[in-house]
Amino acid sequence: MKTCTTIALAAALAAPALAGETLAIRVGRAQTVSHGVVEHAVILVEDGRIAIVGEDLPVERGIPVLDRPEWTVVPGFVNCYSRLGCDSEGGDDNSPDVKAIDELWPKSPAYKEVVKHGVTTLALYPAGNGVSGQSVAIRPLGGTVEEMVLKDGQYVKIVVRSDSPSKRRIADAFKKVEEYDDKVAKAREKFDKDKKGGSKKDEKADEKKSFDPAAQEGKSDDKKDEKKDDGFVPPQPDEKLRPWLEMRVGAKRGLVALSQASDWLHFQDALGKNEMAYDLRLVLQRESDLYYVFDKKTHELDVDGIGDKQLRCVVEPVLTVTAGTLRTRNLPHELHRSGGKVVFIPRNDSLGDHQAWRSNVGELVAAGMPADVALRAMTLEAAEVAGVADLVGSIEKGKHANLVFLTGAPFEASTKIAAVMLDGEFVHGEVNQ
Amino acid sequence: MKYFLRASALLLVAASTHVATSAPARAQDPAPAGAKKEDGKKDDAKVEDKWVAVVGGDIHTGTGEVLKGATILGKNGRIHAIGYDLDVPKDAKVHDVAGMRVYPGLVAISSQGLLGNAMAEFDDTIDPFSSRMVLGLAAGITTTGVGGSAVKLKRFSVDGAVVNERAYTVMSWSGRNPRTKSELREKFVEAARYIREQREWERKSKEQKDLPEPKKTGIDGGVLSVLRGETQAKFNASDRDDLLGIARLAQEFGFRPIIDGCQEGWTVADELGRAGARVVLTARDRRSKDEQQSASGGTSIENAAILHRSGCMVAVTPPTEGIDLGGLEGRDIRMLTIEAGFAVRGGLPEKAALESITIVPARMMGISHRVGSLEVGKDFDLLVTDGDLLHYSTYVQWAFVDGRMVYDKEKELYYAHIRPRPAAEKKLDAGETAESKPADESKPQGEEKDGEKKDDDAKKEGDEKKEGEKGGDGEKKEEKKDGEQQG
Amino acid sequence: MGDERTTNERNAGARMRAGAAVACLALFAACRSSGAVAGGREASGPLELGPGDSGVAIHCAKALTLDDGDSIHAPATILVKNGKLAWVGPRRAAPAGYETLPADGLWASPGMVELHSHIHSGGFGDTNDKVLPVNGELRAMTALRPGNPLVRRAVAGGVTTLYGIPGSGTSMSGFGVIYKTKVDAAFEDAVLHRVGGLKVAQSYNPERGAGDLGRTRAGLAWILEDAADRAKALRAADAEDLSHEDLAKVMERELPVLIHCAGSDGFAAAARMWQEKYATRCVLSHGCFDAHAVAPWIVATGAPINAGPRVVDYMTTRDGAITGTAAKYLEAGAKDLSLNTDSPVLPQEELFLQGAMSARYGADDYQMLRGCTIAPARVFGLDHRLGSLEAGKDADIVLSTGSPLDPRSRVERVYIDGALQYDRARDGQWF
Repeated sequence: MKTCTTIALAAALAAPALAGETLAIRVGRAQTVSHGVVEHAVILVEDGRIAIVGEDLPVERGIPVLDRPEWTVVPGFVNCYSRLGCDSEGGDDNSPDVKAIDELWPKSPAYKEVVKHGVTTLALYPAGNGVSGQSVAIRPLGGTVEEMVLKDGQYVKIVVRSDSPSKRRIADAFKKVEEYDDKVAKAREKFDKDKKGGSKKDEKADEKKSFDPAAQEGKSDDKKDEKKDDGFVPPQPDEKLRPWLEMRVGAKRGLVALSQASDWLHFQDALGKNEMAYDLRLVLQRESDLYYVFDKKTHELDVDGIGDKQLRCVVEPVLTVTAGTLRTRNLPHELHRSGGKVVFIPRNDSLGDHQAWRSNVGELVAAGMPADVALRAMTLEAAEVAGVADLVGSIEKGKHANLVFLTGAPFEASTKIAAVMLDGEFVHGEVNQ
Repeated sequence: MKYFLRASALLLVAASTHVATSAPARAQDPAPAGAKKEDGKKDDAKVEDKWVAVVGGDIHTGTGEVLKGATILGKNGRIHAIGYDLDVPKDAKVHDVAGMRVYPGLVAISSQGLLGNAMAEFDDTIDPFSSRMVLGLAAGITTTGVGGSAVKLKRFSVDGAVVNERAYTVMSWSGRNPRTKSELREKFVEAARYIREQREWERKSKEQKDLPEPKKTGIDGGVLSVLRGETQAKFNASDRDDLLGIARLAQEFGFRPIIDGCQEGWTVADELGRAGARVVLTARDRRSKDEQQSASGGTSIENAAILHRSGCMVAVTPPTEGIDLGGLEGRDIRMLTIEAGFAVRGGLPEKAALESITIVPARMMGISHRVGSLEVGKDFDLLVTDGDLLHYSTYVQWAFVDGRMVYDKEKELYYAHIRPRPAAEKKLDAGETAESKPADESKPQGEEKDGEKKDDDAKKEGDEKKEGEKGGDGEKKEEKKDGEQQG
Repeated sequence: MGDERTTNERNAGARMRAGAAVACLALFAACRSSGAVAGGREASGPLELGPGDSGVAIHCAKALTLDDGDSIHAPATILVKNGKLAWVGPRRAAPAGYETLPADGLWASPGMVELHSHIHSGGFGDTNDKVLPVNGELRAMTALRPGNPLVRRAVAGGVTTLYGIPGSGTSMSGFGVIYKTKVDAAFEDAVLHRVGGLKVAQSYNPERGAGDLGRTRAGLAWILEDAADRAKALRAADAEDLSHEDLAKVMERELPVLIHCAGSDGFAAAARMWQEKYATRCVLSHGCFDAHAVAPWIVATGAPINAGPRVVDYMTTRDGAITGTAAKYLEAGAKDLSLNTDSPVLPQEELFLQGAMSARYGADDYQMLRGCTIAPARVFGLDHRLGSLEAGKDADIVLSTGSPLDPRSRVERVYIDGALQYDRARDGQWF
């Protein structure tokens, strides 16, 4: 049983859905994010996971029921871009091998505080202004690193500015990737030659796919078996190269931080014809000009816009102004309309910003952004960036029972958080049956 | 970058053939064979040609000709034809500018901040969304010298803005720091000796195979490339003695210096003219004469005119190289045309004044085959103005770079409220042809000889401004031109 | 707008702009009168020269008179008798005895008048004694160096009269001197009024940081009102007090006062204090930054505005528009709007460029020419002598190659009190 010493539960706590136990929750409405809105929803929580969600489901006799028809339940919020509890400083070099997990300090008091504001998942990234390293997705409660970590090494944070060093970092990395491909091809050639008479069917194997991260890590033996059993082992890439190879085949994603419109063009220029899986972190400064690159058409850009590519973009919920004016803009909404997928994070890593997160997003909703898009941006879309969308981010069967119980619609100013459930346990709020 | 080198090489061919066949009205059939040369840009046959036509304006080509009510046709970013009764392809973007004037885009020999915060390596640093770039275009600047490179104000793209990466090398020659003089001269001596030895070696080594190549160690690379004509030497100098010294150095070693500042140039104009000096000056510079000096000195409003008469190329630049929106107007980089006006005040002919902010700085930076005048084969970089370019009330209404409209006064924040265009003129981009456009009788076609603006009674009431808010943050930084006006 | 003035002035503006064409005609064809324009005006005295009188006739292509009728004569003749304008009108023959000065192709306009100038001492410095906030005893004339190098260049820019004033480092920094930019004149010859008016700095500079009173706007306001009230009281009691003698004249409207006030707050405070409360002959100088926001109210108080040296506001509007302040004042109905350079903040000789730039940003260019000539003369009570080409006034004449607001127009000759001060052909080009 997981212990949660710091969460003050009411004495009358009637139905802790502890591991191995089952609890049915009946609420007025569930915004599942993945499967729309369910009115009069019943959620069955089993072993810390969501077993079933449905409208007015009959509950088997004997299963405890928490009946809260006045509540609305939404998925636990996911802050996919955070340095909460971390305090190291990074450089500006190419160090994709650095791991945020190495500075995870479970005893940081910050984690349990953000849970109160509905944040049930965090992805931490390593500090730095270059290619600073790999994220780690955590549940913000637990006494040890093992208890906290959901997944390690999901995205690689890459900062791109309109300058030569950041463009060179990307170009150089792909040059190394190319060199590695050559090396693999040569090794393959030599291997085949040595193995004369052996199977030749793999000779035309796609060079780009020559590196299979799963095979490298020895995770899926069966896959390895069915692939080819000729015994060829490609040369090991070095640790700085490996993440780039993984990003190329989508086994990891880049999280590319841009702060102005020109950064996007320079990033695309640096990338050239190379391919990699990435999401964006768009830093929305007060006079942000990023709207120039949301779509290709408006300003006849040479390259596709961010929205055209339907990229996921991590942004803070702020209204900006057109440069030199006081005319406000709702850039996240503009981004959404242009086809981009908005992901919200708190404005900063302070506890106050986590507390204000939902109401900050609410300001953008009041300014025209659809509420369902906004909710998705705080949950499922964020889980996608963090690489844990298979585990959290929506209220659906099989996912962690991370739930935020609200007294009303998520972005109404008067709505409060009534309770927070993390992995089936109520970790915040008074829950009387 | 590679892409552009290739394109410009082809262009050289195009431009030179053009020079040979140049005729006043350069009408060309848009479609046929002869037009291929300026198409270096597109190797891929599948890419559709992009046509643009600016129709009906009085075209001031910058070479002295004015074609009234003519058409300028662009293809894939280059000027394809200029003249009357051109066949404009159906898919061309047609901009009707009847009653307006068309000029080549201005070339600022030196500016700061128009490319965003970029200082060097502009291919990697240019900010094509910078508000200062918009202000630069609004001031008519389509190409600028910055940090030794010549770069275009190309909005919305980071591709191909750099026209000449190494337009000049800055050298130091100053009586205030006499060592710079002897050191630089020594470098020239060494580099010249090296070039001689190298030539000698090349000649002799054909027979004597084992003759060792002369050593390049210790030879100044910048000086060497100046002597080889690969780049230009640029000096910041204004004192009479320094100017004379540079002129002598240039004559001794056979190069044509660019001299920035040149405040006392008018006192040694003949010497500078003989040395083939190219001069960058601010017509209004003020500096009193050094009373210790017996010869004439100090600044003169006639500086530009006198140097021009003595055969120097003269480019004009305003007192401040950055954009200054602090309220003191008439002095920053947006005022190239005003500064050229002051040169006219000092006696520079209007034609030379226009050239001092277009083709002359383009020549100085080695990019005159691309920009600086409106000629077939050159880049489609032009301005459409509502009056005489050098008049203080004239605004750039539209600016084009590489065939693309990158500035529209009505659509940008800064000047739209001032004398807005009459509605009829606003329908640019409407896709109509020249014939369908009604004649605009409000624009007299005659007498623009000495530069008065057309009479416009357009009401000046723009939209009411919101009430001001004192000193908000995020202001544009004011750039100051550093240090050239001491003394 | 719709005031009676507009039509006339707009016509004048149109004629001035259309002027280049006319100038061309004058240059290349025989001169002809513009016909519709009213005839010249006669001085009270006869044109004929008596014994001992001197007379000069200038035949020019165009005369921008800046008179009440906004008359523009092309071609024009100007008759100068004993240093005063005797006749200005369409081309005519000069009476016997007049020396004829041809000015073919040139435009004549009145010498420009600047109300906010600090170059009387030859540059910055010598402008502010900062020990005490109120310096009613101090007089800028003591620092005057007539014909100093900055003044000489001013002449070549067509500027003939300056109000040389102390700086804005103290609340009431002293009394300015009104002088002409004669290049080679003795003090007595150059000075028009030794004590020409008071200089007050409302805020945005006189703030005191040494721990004495005047750190805040409230303190500064009290300092000013205290001084003003004392001066009034002394005058009422007929008491002798040299330090308040001139100040009392300001309070009695015998002398004008120029007030340095920058943003909207200082601008409004100055109008309340000096126009509404004390009813002085005040002129509100600067009016920069966001001051245009209170333009309608200022105009309603009747306080005249002297705009500059900043001619646009971009920072405070925050709507992205670069706003011409002069255009805003005209829009609000400002009468006799004058311009300044605050020289040497901007060079004195570029006063005309302040007009050109204001016109660029939306103001009518004829109005801006008025703002450099008749408007400042009028608000400072000098219009009986200066600011326009009219019979009876001082013969301060600028001959240039085109519109006085165009930087390309070269000033060829400048006369002050009928005497040639600057002749480009003779002296070389100073500017």
